[in-house]
Amino acid sequence: MREGSAGTLVPANADMPDVAVAFRGITKRFPGVLALEDVSFEIAAGSMHALCGENGAGKSTLGKILAGVHTADAGEVRLFGQPFAATRPEHALAAGVGMVHQELAFCENLSVAENLCLRALPATGPFLSRAAMYREAESLLAAIDARLDVRRRVGELTIGQQQMLQIAAAVGHGARVIVFDEPTSSLSQHEAEKLYELMARLRERGVTGIYVSHRMEEIFRLCDTVTVLRDGRHVATEPIAALDTGRIVELMIGRKLEQYFPTDHGATTGEERLRVEGLSSPAGFRDISFSVRAGEVVGMAGLVGAGRSETAAAIFGLDGRATGRIVVDGRPVVIRSPRQAMRLGIGLVPEDRKRQGLVLSMSSLANTTMAILPSLARLTFVRSAEERAIGRRFFERLRVRAHSLDATAAGLSGGNQQKLVLAKWLAARCQVLILDEPTRGVDVGAKAQIHALIAELAAEGVAVLLISSELPELLHLATRVIVLRDGRIVGEVPRVEATQDGLMRLMAGVA
Amino acid sequence: MTLRKVARTGMSILKRAIGTQQAGLVFVIVLLGVLLALTAGSHLDPRTGQSVHNFYNLHTLLQTATDASFFAIMAVGATVVIISGGIDLSVGSIYALAGVTTAMVLRSVAPDSAVTVVLLATTVSLGIGLICGVLNGVMVTGLGVHPFIITLGTMWVVRGIAFVSSHAESILVPSSLTAVAKASFGMASSVYPVPLLVMLAVMAIGSVYLTRTVMGRHVFAVGGNPEASRFSGLRLNRITIGVFAISGLTAGLAALLGAAFYGSASCADATGYELYVIAAAVVGGASLSGGRGSAVSATLGALLIVLIRQSIRTMRFDQNYEWIIIGCAIILAVVLDQASSRAALRRLSADAVRR
Repeated sequence: MREGSAGTLVPANADMPDVAVAFRGITKRFPGVLALEDVSFEIAAGSMHALCGENGAGKSTLGKILAGVHTADAGEVRLFGQPFAATRPEHALAAGVGMVHQELAFCENLSVAENLCLRALPATGPFLSRAAMYREAESLLAAIDARLDVRRRVGELTIGQQQMLQIAAAVGHGARVIVFDEPTSSLSQHEAEKLYELMARLRERGVTGIYVSHRMEEIFRLCDTVTVLRDGRHVATEPIAALDTGRIVELMIGRKLEQYFPTDHGATTGEERLRVEGLSSPAGFRDISFSVRAGEVVGMAGLVGAGRSETAAAIFGLDGRATGRIVVDGRPVVIRSPRQAMRLGIGLVPEDRKRQGLVLSMSSLANTTMAILPSLARLTFVRSAEERAIGRRFFERLRVRAHSLDATAAGLSGGNQQKLVLAKWLAARCQVLILDEPTRGVDVGAKAQIHALIAELAAEGVAVLLISSELPELLHLATRVIVLRDGRIVGEVPRVEATQDGLMRLMAGVA
Repeated sequence: MTLRKVARTGMSILKRAIGTQQAGLVFVIVLLGVLLALTAGSHLDPRTGQSVHNFYNLHTLLQTATDASFFAIMAVGATVVIISGGIDLSVGSIYALAGVTTAMVLRSVAPDSAVTVVLLATTVSLGIGLICGVLNGVMVTGLGVHPFIITLGTMWVVRGIAFVSSHAESILVPSSLTAVAKASFGMASSVYPVPLLVMLAVMAIGSVYLTRTVMGRHVFAVGGNPEASRFSGLRLNRITIGVFAISGLTAGLAALLGAAFYGSASCADATGYELYVIAAAVVGGASLSGGRGSAVSATLGALLIVLIRQSIRTMRFDQNYEWIIIGCAIILAVVLDQASSRAALRRLSADAVRR
């Protein structure tokens, strides 16, 4: 087997029963993004197969297609030699594919036993037979040696215990292939150890595992084969023995750097605009200290769950439990609400634009002027002409493509929606702009425009904190990059010294 | 203006009207109107001996509008609450409390001049409405309980206060107040257009508030996506208290008008109105999940409900079926509205993909 440029791995004997899962030409498109493109590879029966890639490389999407959460637009999945196209998770489970993922789907108000037996509750006539239900649940849990009180409410369990429950449900319903989607991302070390043990036991029993992760130590500990995806394409499938951490990282980030031009936006960095000292919060970060000057773009790198968005939220006044010092323009401040943050000239383009950035039911114009509306009003009456003038100005500057200012935000493409969120904060004339994954789920054209805009803003003297999971983006724009891991700063790398390889190693915690 | 010009302006107004949110409602109301015109028949006026259409006569039309006006006014307030993502079940009770308090204050103070009577009555009923509304809002935000529960509670509490304080009496209001509510502005003696005019005024003010003011825009934002509103620095609590204050205020105004028009107030007034009010708002296309609605539509929704009731009477259907018909009509109206907005959304996303 060798690395192919676009996933041209030629299977030797495709329909041999020792192949548990075969992906052939899988393509999946989401509005505005091509998540997977012509992905083909195979997973041997009884193996633990790692699926690696950067955030957004398409690894979770592939897992979800197998588990029936998503449906592929093109291509074929074969399960033990049989064509397999699950359109719903329960179909996949009936065919023997289970999934353990972060977004746990349980009825939290019901007990462990009720959740495990929900599909077919044991009953005598119309009456639920509790004893039978508890027996059944206990035997399901015993099958994976998990010790849990089946009478407890699922809402009271830890995330680790809930994952056990997912595995028990999958195995109990006869899953022969289980997809683990970053199962340890929200587990403590101790819980993770328990999960590893369980996975080892499952393997002994011949269950095939697909392990979606970008944590190197776990991959080397658990898996025997590794498939790397990059930008939705298959890059390589190789036995773990043929790889080392460096090689996997290289495969994951192997994008040519030349496609991004590390611009020197030529801004002379000015006064310090924002300084954070010893910021900590139970939300998931500790002792964060850094500063951003006017005209500077400071990058923030880290894996999912490293505490980047949580830090941003705390600076923007959204985390009441955060402690530490924030200094804006040389003055120590206490920020308790987004409103106070805005008054200090801070803006936040949040990670999830649909949930936190936009009111989808309102017009594009109303979204753009949302944060500055009082300043556009005389005696509370919105001056429509001025509002529209502002809208037109930012639509032009950001090249928002909507059929009119009044187009509903819900009808715009991902890139244009993101531009609306950016426009909202540009209109507010922020001096400190925190951008959390500003190009996630955005098409290539809009991405380039957003990049140009960030450089432009810095040149105008705005202090930018750029949180991104795309290392090329950080290397392209940031003057220096702060790396977070497990809620702490583990490094600060100036632009000239930063490489994708170095950053990835810092993020993943490998030497 | 030449005839052609007139025709062209007419067409463009028509085109714009068809594109708006109200198009469906207006269509149904017009349809019902045509149906009434064709089927209602006519009778002979005993005094003049002329043939009078059973529905298209000034009295019946005004009576229909008057019937609608009391809860149409509250429906505008309810729409504001519903757009913000909340609900207010207490408006009927606030109406009763504002009504009896006004009547009692007027009875005990007994002012001489008509102007004082009107001013005092206005102050008391609007004041009571406002206070109740603000209390609703403060409890919803302060206690963090769903507005359905809070206003379900205050619905009974407020009605109870009205009951206890009025000793369940029906209290008369001074005739000077009735004279204002029944002013006929020199038209025929038994023509009372004041409730209709107040309803139109409230509709206009509500519409301007929702579409032209900062606060109105904030109501849409909070109802559409509270999370994004918080991320944009909006003061959610203040906005929530504001919408309940508006709802209470409209209940107070409706109570003033009702007490003045009918000449008395009792603690049993407007029982069950909250449901008519919510029905009017949702028939008018307000979404109970927030972010969508209009003052004009809510008023039209109220008119439609009254018109259905009136049709049943005028066309001499069995009145026993009134509730069944109104109930079905409400469900039908909302289903049709949802189907049309889903179609619009599909069209929009198809556009986005093509782009």
